[in-house]
Amino acid sequence: MKRGLACFLAGVALFSLDALLFRTRLYPSLLEPDSSAGLFELILWREQQAQSRYGDNVVATLGDSTFAYYPRVANERTGETGYMFRSAGVAGSDPRLWYYMLRDLDPAARRYRAIVFGVRDYDDEDGPYDIANEMADLHYAIARLRLSDVVEFARSFHDRSLAFQALRGGLLKGIVYQSDILAFLAHPLQRIAYVELCHRGYEGWTYDYVETSRSMAGLRIDWAARKATFPPEASEHQRDTTNRYLLYEPAPQTGTHAAFRRAWFGRIIARYRGSRTRIVFLRLPRGPIPRPGNLVEKRSSSIREFASRPGVVLCDEHAFDALEHPELFQDAIHLNHQGCTRFSAMLAAEIARMLGPPNREPAVK
Amino acid sequence: MLFNTTHFFVFLAMVLALFYALPRALRRYLLLAASYFFYGSWNYKFIALLLALTAIDYTAGLWLERFPPGAKKRAVLIGSLCANLGFLGFFKYYNFLAANLALALAKPAHSFFLDIVLPLGISFHTFQSMSYVVDVYRGEQKAVRSPIDYALYICFFPQLVAGPIVRARNFFGDLYHWQRPTADDVSRGLFLLTLGLTKKMAFADQFAQVANRYFANVAANPGMLTAWSGVGAFGLQIYFDFSGYTDMAIGMAKLLGFHFPENFRRPYLASSITDFWRRWHISLSTWLRDYLYIPLGGSRHGAWMTYRNLMLTMLLGGLWHGASWNFMIWGGYHGALLSVERMVRGGRPAGEEWDWLYPLRALLTFVLAMTGWVFFRAANLPESLHVLGQMYAGARGQVLLAPWHIGLALLALVLALGEEKRGWGERVMRAPAPAYACALALMFFCIEVFGVIDASIPFIYFQF
Repeated sequence: MKRGLACFLAGVALFSLDALLFRTRLYPSLLEPDSSAGLFELILWREQQAQSRYGDNVVATLGDSTFAYYPRVANERTGETGYMFRSAGVAGSDPRLWYYMLRDLDPAARRYRAIVFGVRDYDDEDGPYDIANEMADLHYAIARLRLSDVVEFARSFHDRSLAFQALRGGLLKGIVYQSDILAFLAHPLQRIAYVELCHRGYEGWTYDYVETSRSMAGLRIDWAARKATFPPEASEHQRDTTNRYLLYEPAPQTGTHAAFRRAWFGRIIARYRGSRTRIVFLRLPRGPIPRPGNLVEKRSSSIREFASRPGVVLCDEHAFDALEHPELFQDAIHLNHQGCTRFSAMLAAEIARMLGPPNREPAVK
Repeated sequence: MLFNTTHFFVFLAMVLALFYALPRALRRYLLLAASYFFYGSWNYKFIALLLALTAIDYTAGLWLERFPPGAKKRAVLIGSLCANLGFLGFFKYYNFLAANLALALAKPAHSFFLDIVLPLGISFHTFQSMSYVVDVYRGEQKAVRSPIDYALYICFFPQLVAGPIVRARNFFGDLYHWQRPTADDVSRGLFLLTLGLTKKMAFADQFAQVANRYFANVAANPGMLTAWSGVGAFGLQIYFDFSGYTDMAIGMAKLLGFHFPENFRRPYLASSITDFWRRWHISLSTWLRDYLYIPLGGSRHGAWMTYRNLMLTMLLGGLWHGASWNFMIWGGYHGALLSVERMVRGGRPAGEEWDWLYPLRALLTFVLAMTGWVFFRAANLPESLHVLGQMYAGARGQVLLAPWHIGLALLALVLALGEEKRGWGERVMRAPAPAYACALALMFFCIEVFGVIDASIPFIYFQF
């Protein structure tokens, strides 16, 4: 009996210790800024800090690395548009992560005038793997997961062993932080100094960041033969991304991507129901030479389905087609400096057009 | 089904639940079925081998008891030992002998090779089975009447694949006079299970990553500090790995009402190599002492015969670990050290004195043990010699261990000293519930933060 009590107490002590270190700011404030969790936290922190400086008419954008634009350039047009742009996007992220990001970035769900999601396609196309099984999501969102999220988060993974890993990591966060902790223990002072440096400089580094001017100029694709002709100076990375993101063989269309989008965008939209915040979807410039639509039969369009929901707006699907030129891309999916500059200006104008003139309703009462 | 996997813990929980739910008369059948299932989960084909060995030694035990001392009895003993050693020799040493024969005949090394898979834990269960037969022959153990009981002795899952090598009298004593585990047994069982898991996952597997990195390509990792840290990492890995496994085995057995002997007693605190072997893999060293060293004459026939017996015992002990010249050299190295120690010590017994010279002696013993591990871990003799060259005459090199590795090693040292001098482990196991709970929680926290969780690093001694 006593040993039963001891085992129970041991469980309580373990969870308490884990919670004390990893569910408070104690350890998350020391996360390696270049790690998945550290980067996610740093971006969230940066955006939280920016909220007080940016007034009420802020448009937050969320996306992965393909949603690359310069908020600085977009904000140069604030005089005309009336909106300020902030990017809370994280490279490699997906709607599941954006949900957790927004929940803590905007707890009252009325901080922003609009939240803009950049997607590669309004139609749903299944890739070679099930996006719901993206284990990196656990590592990005780990600091945001609350105890009440754990079961739901784990269940969102379709693979049982991954779901178990997510459940285990959500309950005992130290398991997920492990490699970060070991790296911290190897050089604790260096880590603390680096974290401080990032907190001081991250806003400036990212706001003033300039993409490379390298381009895909000279790229030609024979879609019938599914073969690309690269300019002689094309890098290995450019060739690789072209093969992976443009010339790939379509995967069987099972509907998992649509289900994933419906689930997580659906939750985000539900959070903002009745809020002043508009949810905007836009189709990003697809690539230096976009794939023809007939290469795969897409069976659904979850994004278009959302258009009927209150507060949701879809940007014209072809609004940014003008940017789909090899000269404006640095590889098969990312805009280069010229592309980002043009996209930023177009984005600001398009969003302002869709939202109409900014109003004076305060963000948070 | 490794001990440090979720599958195993599900299996263990089911066995424990069923064990205590079933009537007492059925429990041994459950344990037997669970043990064969456990063994079969690795490779079900070897269950036949296990059954054959069990049948041979079970029958031999009955015959040995029936026959009066004399030629017939000796023939049964020899027959049983030949069967055991034959199986062991074929599965474990055939290819080693074939390679050496090919070398002697100047033929390609694989000329006589057979595609043999080593049955899991064969060295352990054959030694356990042989000890039973010899004990019955000597009249120190009654022959077991029930084949189920004997089969359970051979294949009891907590110690089937890597020991400890349990003597028949201890096992059958527990089996025939089984008593429900006391609260103290449960405390110890849970504590040892957790401790073993912590040793394996948080300590052994972390040091394994350093050692594996070093030994994967020793030529690419030159330098004295590099070699010492790679070898030191392996020394710590093998201790935490094997003693962790043993702790788990002892803990599980306790939860089932069985009491296994201690197999490790903080060997790196030993003050001499003799002391080291009294603390390292105790069930094997006492087996070798009782069934090899003493029958060879032990120390009863003068100094030189004692040295010969020590050398022979340790050479065979080395060979028991694996079929390679490196294991033979490792055994011979320890045999030589034991002989030299005995020569220097003269007639004085090897004590465990904690005097002012102790740190020096313990350090020297540790260094000698680490030097020996080179032969144990390196792929072959040239690689061993290369590593030894780097350890003792290499350029400076760099430490492969991160500061937290060193922190873990120091933590282990402090805990070992506390256990050695103050009996910390014993105190915790008897402590009130909150203190006991804190100890368990800290061990689990260690696994959480330091445990190698998703990379499956097998227990080293599973290959023996």
